[in-house]
Amino acid sequence: MQIDWITVAAQIVNFLVLVWLLQRFLYGPITRAMARRETRIETRLREARDSRAEAESEAAELREAREALERSRDETLDKAREEAAALRARLEDEAREAVAEKRAAWRERLDAEQAEFEDRLRRQMTRQVLETTRKTLRALADADLAGQVAERLADSLEDLDEDARNDLAGADEVAVIESGLELPAESKARLTRAVHRLISDGIDTEYRVSEDLLLGARLRLGTHTVEWSADLYLEGLQAAVEAALDDRRGRTAA
Amino acid sequence: MRISPDEWIIAQWQGISLNATVLFTWAVMAILVAVSWAITARLSEGEKVSRWQVMLEVIVTSIRDQIAEIGAGRPGRYLPFIGTLFLFIAVSNLLMIVPGYTAPTASLSTTVALALCVLVAVPVFAVSERGVGGYLRGYLRPNAVMLPFNIIAELSRTIALAVRLYGNVMSGTVIAGILISVAPFFFPVLMQLLGLLTGFIQAYIFAVLAMVYIASAERARPLGEAQDDDAPHDNDKGD
Repeated sequence: MQIDWITVAAQIVNFLVLVWLLQRFLYGPITRAMARRETRIETRLREARDSRAEAESEAAELREAREALERSRDETLDKAREEAAALRARLEDEAREAVAEKRAAWRERLDAEQAEFEDRLRRQMTRQVLETTRKTLRALADADLAGQVAERLADSLEDLDEDARNDLAGADEVAVIESGLELPAESKARLTRAVHRLISDGIDTEYRVSEDLLLGARLRLGTHTVEWSADLYLEGLQAAVEAALDDRRGRTAA
Repeated sequence: MRISPDEWIIAQWQGISLNATVLFTWAVMAILVAVSWAITARLSEGEKVSRWQVMLEVIVTSIRDQIAEIGAGRPGRYLPFIGTLFLFIAVSNLLMIVPGYTAPTASLSTTVALALCVLVAVPVFAVSERGVGGYLRGYLRPNAVMLPFNIIAELSRTIALAVRLYGNVMSGTVIAGILISVAPFFFPVLMQLLGLLTGFIQAYIFAVLAMVYIASAERARPLGEAQDDDAPHDNDKGD
């Protein structure tokens, strides 16, 4: 064992100096640096935690806001649906009313058309009846009947009042006597006499056959006309029937 | 063949001789301080850290963790002493690969000096923690009969500490010397590698044993009190 006590003392001093030097240059700076870094990291972690908490709270707020928005959207949608349903109901009602109105108008028009058709039919029937009557009369017409017609014209002349006779006398023209049938000679003579007697002696007479006169005769003198015709009766009848139909239609429309 | 570097006198001036032990101790000290200073002069406190700083931080944190593991309450309190023991012995031993260098720890004077430091440090730490009375009462546990045995244990473990380190390092040197004379090629290289490993392990053992002695001296007190201090103090900043 070689222990050099001077060296031992020197080594003890050396060791203590080394302890101090390393504490000064190694442990102190390193531990302080680590401590500061830890502090910084802790700070940053804390900041990160704070930021995270903040972000989470913001996220929660946003979530709430979104939920509120969704709720309000649902409410709006429900409201819109209700409004749409109401609108649809109203439109349906309106459409139904419009259809009902149209149907009523259509029915009215149909009724009117039907009435008009009936009216036209009646008039047609009336005309047909009259036409048939005329045809019948025309078929029955003969010389004897023509004489009778001349008699009726002579009667009409007889029935004229004084003013009418004077008007006729004032017309200095030829008296044209038209008839539907060829009048017999005695009827013509009789009529000529009646004209001379009742109107004026100087009037000449001229006899013509006119197809438009069905069963009748007409005396024309200037602008004046005296006529007797079975057609007049028929026209009167037609006028009466049409007046009755018009009257009935007016009542139906009312 | 020189067994101890103490005998290797480098310089002599007015009766004071400078031996290899002291010289190489200064060299180790200079390397440790220079490296520490070079790195800690440019310390970064941000996220971007140089690899050298990371290395120092790993070393310091490992030592602190080891101290905390052994059970001392505040690692920062013991870090300078235990850490310096470890670093000094480790660097002294690892430099053995440098030709012409002799580890100061191969000198019994150095290991005795370190063991004496531990011998003094144990009561110093214990007294500062528990007071003089509390520390002295530890010698009377479990009863007064144990006083002589406790004193013998204190001394013997100091001697064991010194001799263990010296023996291991010195034997490594001696074995290397013998092997070079017997088998000059290849085999001494393996022994050198083994020497690096044992040198590192010896540094670890010395530091850990020192810490264990200090911790056991501090813990020689009522159980409940001890348990309170066993909890690791994470917030200890190492003042």
